Parts: sequence; C-alpha cells; structure tokens
Amino acid sequence: MAGALDGIKVLEVTQIIAGPMCGVMLSDLGADVIKVESAAGDGMRLLGQIAPGESKGFHVFNRGKRGIVLNLQDADGQAVIQRLIGEMDVFLINARPGVPERLGIDYDSLRRHNPRLIYLENTAYGPTGPSAHRAGADIIAQAYSGLMAGDEKLDEHGGPDLITATTPADFVAAFTSTIAVCAALYHRERTGEGQKIDTSLLAGAMVLQNAFASRMPVSDSILLDPLLAGLAAVRERGGSYAELLGARGGIRALVGGAFLLYYGGYQTSDGAIMLGCVTPANRNQVRNALGLEAGDDPTDDGDFNAMAEGSAEVVARVRALITERFASDTTENWVDKLDQAGAPAAQVNIPEEMIDDPQVQALGIMVDLEHRLTGPETMVGPPFNMSATPPAAEGASPPLDGDTDEVLAQYGYSAEQIAALRSSGAVGLPAERG
Amino acid sequence: MPGPLDGIKVLELTQIIAGPYCGVALADLGAEVVKLESPIGDASRKIGQFAPNESKAFHALNRGKRGLVLNLAMPDGQAAAHRLIADFDVFVTNVRPGVAERIGMDFETLRRHRPDLIYFEVTGYGDRGPSAHRAGSDIVVQAYSGLLAGDLKLDEHGAPEQITASAPSDYVAGLGGAMGICAALYHRERSGEGQRISTSLLGAGLALQSPWAADVPVSDAILIEPLRQTMSELRASGASYAEMIEARRSRPTQGKAFRIYYAGYPVQDGAIILGALTPQNRQQIRDALEITDDPIDDADFNAVGPEADAIADRVEAQIRTKLAGGTMAEWTARLDAAGAPASPVNWLEDMADDPQVVAMNLIRPTEHPISGPERLVGPLVEMSQTETGAARPAPPLDAETDVILQEHGFTLDEIADLRASGAIGADTEP
Repeated sequence: MAGALDGIKVLEVTQIIAGPMCGVMLSDLGADVIKVESAAGDGMRLLGQIAPGESKGFHVFNRGKRGIVLNLQDADGQAVIQRLIGEMDVFLINARPGVPERLGIDYDSLRRHNPRLIYLENTAYGPTGPSAHRAGADIIAQAYSGLMAGDEKLDEHGGPDLITATTPADFVAAFTSTIAVCAALYHRERTGEGQKIDTSLLAGAMVLQNAFASRMPVSDSILLDPLLAGLAAVRERGGSYAELLGARGGIRALVGGAFLLYYGGYQTSDGAIMLGCVTPANRNQVRNALGLEAGDDPTDDGDFNAMAEGSAEVVARVRALITERFASDTTENWVDKLDQAGAPAAQVNIPEEMIDDPQVQALGIMVDLEHRLTGPETMVGPPFNMSATPPAAEGASPPLDGDTDEVLAQYGYSAEQIAALRSSGAVGLPAERG
Repeated sequence: MPGPLDGIKVLELTQIIAGPYCGVALADLGAEVVKLESPIGDASRKIGQFAPNESKAFHALNRGKRGLVLNLAMPDGQAAAHRLIADFDVFVTNVRPGVAERIGMDFETLRRHRPDLIYFEVTGYGDRGPSAHRAGSDIVVQAYSGLLAGDLKLDEHGAPEQITASAPSDYVAGLGGAMGICAALYHRERSGEGQRISTSLLGAGLALQSPWAADVPVSDAILIEPLRQTMSELRASGASYAEMIEARRSRPTQGKAFRIYYAGYPVQDGAIILGALTPQNRQQIRDALEITDDPIDDADFNAVGPEADAIADRVEAQIRTKLAGGTMAEWTARLDAAGAPASPVNWLEDMADDPQVVAMNLIRPTEHPISGPERLVGPLVEMSQTETGAARPAPPLDAETDVILQEHGFTLDEIADLRASGAIGADTEP
C-alpha cells in the first residue's frame, strides 16, 4: 500500500530538528524527500559525531531522505535549486530570517519557477514582530515562551535548568509544519493553488501551554491575578529567579494541591510510580486500591474548598497517608493493583531502555534501518498508523553528498554538466574533503 | 479567505487534551467541528471550574467548536449519532480502548453509515500489545515512555515530579492526529477512499525522544550501553528512584564543554538562557561577555580528553560570574547585538501581553457566552492563501444540541422525544 503522500516531491534546506523532523514525517507519509546541505553539512552532523559528519541525532532526524550538497553562495548552486524546484511540490526551510532572500530561495523567487509550490518556512520567533530577526534555538523558545519557568527546575546555582527530556518547541513546530503542508496539499488538490506557510518555535511552545498562557478574566481573578501580583512584588524588590519560582509555585500549590495528590509521582519500596487521575472516578479507584477509608480524604467532597483556611493542611495530611501506603510495596505490585482497579498508573521508565519494552515492540513503533556508513540502527518510526495508507520509514539518513549525482541525473543533468558543477564547487564537497 | 479545510465537517467524541486539541487544530484550519459530549460533559469542564461546567482548560482546548450532547449509553442516542455521521467527513475520539465498540462508535460501525469516513483514534498505549487496555493519561504515559525520567526531576520526597509546564504526550498525539487527518483528506481527494488513523500517547512520547529511544550501535557503545548496564545493576540492587535519577544525571556525555553555551544562568533580576549550537554562536557569546581564554572551539581541543571537564568548569564559572553582574534586559540586548541566541526566562502567565506574541497574533480575543471576553492561544500556523484561526469560543454544555440536530434533518418532534427520553441533552438543563 502506498503512503498518503505517494508521488509528492519535497526539497528541504533544513538543519538541527524542527525542519528536518518535518521532512521525516512527510517521508513517513510516502513523500520523496531530498535534503539539500552545504558542503559543511547540517550542524546536527557534528553534535556527538560517531564517524566524520555522522551523528545519532542526524541519523534520527534525517532518515528516509536522499541527500545532495549544493553551494548556495554560488549562483550556479542557486540555479540548481531553481531548476529542481520546477518538479517539486513542497519546499521546507528553517534558516535564520533573511537568509532565504540572500540565497535567492525565498518564496517569491521560487514560486516564479513553480506557481503551485507549497513553501514552508520555520523560524524561531515568526516572520514579523520585534523579535523576528533574533537568533533562536529550541532552548531559547523554551525560555522566551515561559515553558521553562513553567517546568520550575533550578540547577545548583539557582539558574534555570533545561527540560532535558526533549526539545519540545522544535518537535511541535515540526508537527505543525507537517499538518500545514498536508492541509495545503489538500487545498491545492481542490483549487490548484500553492502557498507559503509560516511556523515558529514560539508558536509551537505557546501551543504546549495553551491554558496557562490564555487569559480569561472571570477565571483569572481567582488564581492568575494573585500569581501575577506575587511575581511583580518579587520583581519589585529585585528577587532572584529562585524566589520568583517560589512565588509562582506557592500560589499554584494552594489551588492545585488537591488535584496533584492523584496526578503525580510517589516512591515505592523499590522505585517510583506515577498516578494520572483527572476524574473523581479515577481518584476513587486509587483510594480503594490504597485501602483509604471514607473520611481519610475529603478533597473530592462537594463542600471541600481548596482556597479555604486549613485546606493546605488537609492536603498535606492526605499526601502523607498516600506516600506511606505506596512506600510499603513494590512498583510492580502497585501497578498491578491500580490496573485492576482501572486507574491510570505506570512505572517510571528510562528513555534509553524503551526499545526493549514489550508494548513498544507490540505496536511496532521502532523500525530497523541500515545506514550506508555505520550499519544497522533502530529508530523511532512513525508514531501513528493509517489503515489505507500506512506510514512507513523509508530508510536511513543520507551521508553528506551521498546522493548528489543520482538526484541531479534524475532531474535531467548530464554527466558532463554534473562534473562541471562539481569542479566549479557549485555542488558537492570541496576536493580535499570529497 | 476560507481555511484549507473549508467545508470539512468533523464530529469529535473527546475529552481532556489529546482529542480536543486535535479538534482545535482542525477548526483552526477551517473545518466545522462539532464536539459530542455525554450528558455530564467532558471531564475537563470540572478541572478548575469557575462556573458550572466551565473551566479555563475546557475553554482553551475547545474553542472554535459547536457543542452537542448525546447519551451514547442509550440505543436512541447511538442511533442519533449514526444518523449524524453520514453528514461528517471526519470522526475524532480518545475514549478508553473498548469503549467505542461498546457504544457503537467504532470505525467498522461508523463507516457503514459513511463509507469514506476518516476515523481518528488516540489511546494511551495503542490498539494492541500487553498494555493496550490499561488506563492512560498524559502523565502516566510520560512516565511509561521515559519522558519523565529524562526530565530528571525529583520532589522533596525523592519521588518523580511531573513536567509541570504542559502535557506533551497529549499535545503531540493530538497534533499527530491532525497531521494524519490532513494527509488522509488528501488521499481521499485523490482516491475516494476513507480510512482509520490511530495513534497513542506512548507513540507520541517516543517521537518526542527520537534520539534517546533510538538504538544506533556504533554510537551507543560509548555512551548508552554503559548507562543501560548501570541502570540494570541499580535495579537489581533495589536502588531508589532518586539514586537512579542521580546515576542518569551523572552519566557520561559527549562534550560537556559545549553544554555551557546551551544552558541557563541566574542574572541580577531573574535568569537568562544561552542557546548556542555552533562555533560561530559560541564566539558571539564570548565576544559579548568579553571572554578571551576559552579553548573549546580551538582545532586542537579534545572534548573527551582528560582536561576537558576542568576546562569546561573554568569557562562555565567565568560565564556565570559575568552574567550575574547584569540584568536580563542588559544581557539580552548585548547578546542580540552580537547575533547570539539568548533569551530572558519569561513567565508563561505574562505571555498573553508579550510584544512578540501580540505582534504574531499568537493569542486572540474571543467572547464566551457565559464568561465574557477571553484571550486564547491561537492557530499553529499562518498560510498565505488559506486563513487559519477559529474565533468561536468553547461551547457551553448542551448549548447547540437542538440546532445541530435540526441542521442534520431531525424534526422538532423527534428532538423533543429524544430529549424527553434522555437520549440527548445534559444531565442538568443548560
């Protein structure tokens, strides 16, 4: 069965994660994706190198693509893109703002060669506004958007600590980019019209904190306004980042403390467990599994008021009770009991070990690939299934300059033309590296 | 200018975040989205309630939709849903595994009423495998997928703490669904064929950790295999969660030296983040901070050599001292002028009024019939030829049930009968 985007041709000038991951997902959906790199290669190739120009990060974010090297500083290199673009459906770029114009690969330049082109540009802050031209990266968008302060982590020096697990703004921008490209293909199929799509890391990060960043005066008067006033007071007296975090956390704990009793982690006798209850029914399942008696926990009673005096003490008492119960048995036993009760709970796994997890294996999320230079590897594949057009990983990532000649030949360049472009430096690696 | 999904009709039977956010994304792309709720409503209406059945979370995650209440536990309620689905292009659900079959809302049943239906289903752990039928919610599957341990956070009792900022698995699963639906609409336009799309919070969690969950033996021999070994020894010895997190935190990594330019530092009035990933960006930071004796980007520097950590510690201390002497505004201005990626650490509660957020129109005003004016996080993307962004507020429970049923051919008498029998409508009168 062919993928949903079977026959669609994508050219990408991308680097690091946000742009490359969009290319991976389009490839998973069946598109033919060609990655354009400079002779120096995507910066990701150099982060944790395992062989010259090859890194785990690059392999993960560029599987399924063919790779070509063009010198876009050179007019002949730019001319190659302009010639290829006539046969492409989609162009992806996540360069710094202004770079596409300088290299002659901005939307207006490329659409002249292909009026039906779908052009996607991802930047850090978006195309307009006071920060549009500032440098960005995932960690910058995390900090700027509030996502990082929302994580409430402090390092030993009182500074903010990374959300180490992942690069959330990059990933969400990649997903939103792919959604928009698919929607634009649908629009083009119905109308014949191509278009330009703009996404940003900032918008991606804002999506992740939808409810927190929104303003609703009726609701905010209870919780958000006091929180903002608390932050302003700490700022007024020149308080540290740690004090700002403390001010924010204290107010949130007052209102959210009861909810977090059953939406959070506890130590067990041999590790840890995580509860994920969002309904009273789920919370009762946990109370029963823990053997809590009527009256032990009044926080779901109709007359419980989280803001009332003494409520924090009640929540602390219930937390101590739950903490004590979980500490009395193993993670496995508690997970079994909670599963039987129907409550959401899980052990806390380590990311590097997920490849061997039976559920991950049953779903077929991991895919086995063979890299031309570094051999067998197992990667996270498409995270969803489609019954009529199943997404599928198309292959491993390309070595730098691995497919330049093949791709140019496919799009009508003769062997002599390719040799001439290569010797002038417009395509391929410089002689000493090639 | 209509959106790219103009004219597409979506029916969603969803709750909390993953399903509802998928619906928001489709509404932003121009689809007409109807939210189907049970007589008690989406549970997120009750989380932080500020009026009966109205909460900030529900408003943020259900804007742009119309609301319909059917009692799918009753055959008449199911029959009404089956009659409606014939007029819809897309169905979205994130009910527990097995529930859709029990209430007649599974793919096989619905496609009998609409053969080219695009059906999207999000579950916690996926639709097969040993955990398929377990209860799941974002934080539980964060824990299961490794995302939580990767965050390395511990509370004061040594227990894991949630990634408080957000529900990443939920959002990414919802986004994955919107992507699959758009691709499926394109496929249907070319082939006439509908299909079932499924994803899971587990799949989303792994996608978010693509590099860490992947296995690249050539690379992993150096860093990952020793970590896996350590973890299994700790487990065998009955180590606590805190000990395991500490082991992971102090695992060997490549290039600690580079981490000091991709990190956060306290400044006089808060904190600042540096985000340099290239030698050029690191040099811009050195220039702005007037650091002249950092060898880590010299050609002969060995990032895994015996001296590397000591050198990194020395340079880090220099950066720390310099930054502590200024304010967020001063350092951001100097680093911006140098062209280096840097940002103050902002507070998400302030972001609705941030000048860049305002300039990009990322937060948009709407008017809710119960709670009045609100400003909500807007669409994911801007598109030059097709508008994005749904201005409609979240639906009050049961507000439009009758109108929607009438639009799809139900008579006033039929609606009155269904309401009297309890097959439609909320438990409490709207």
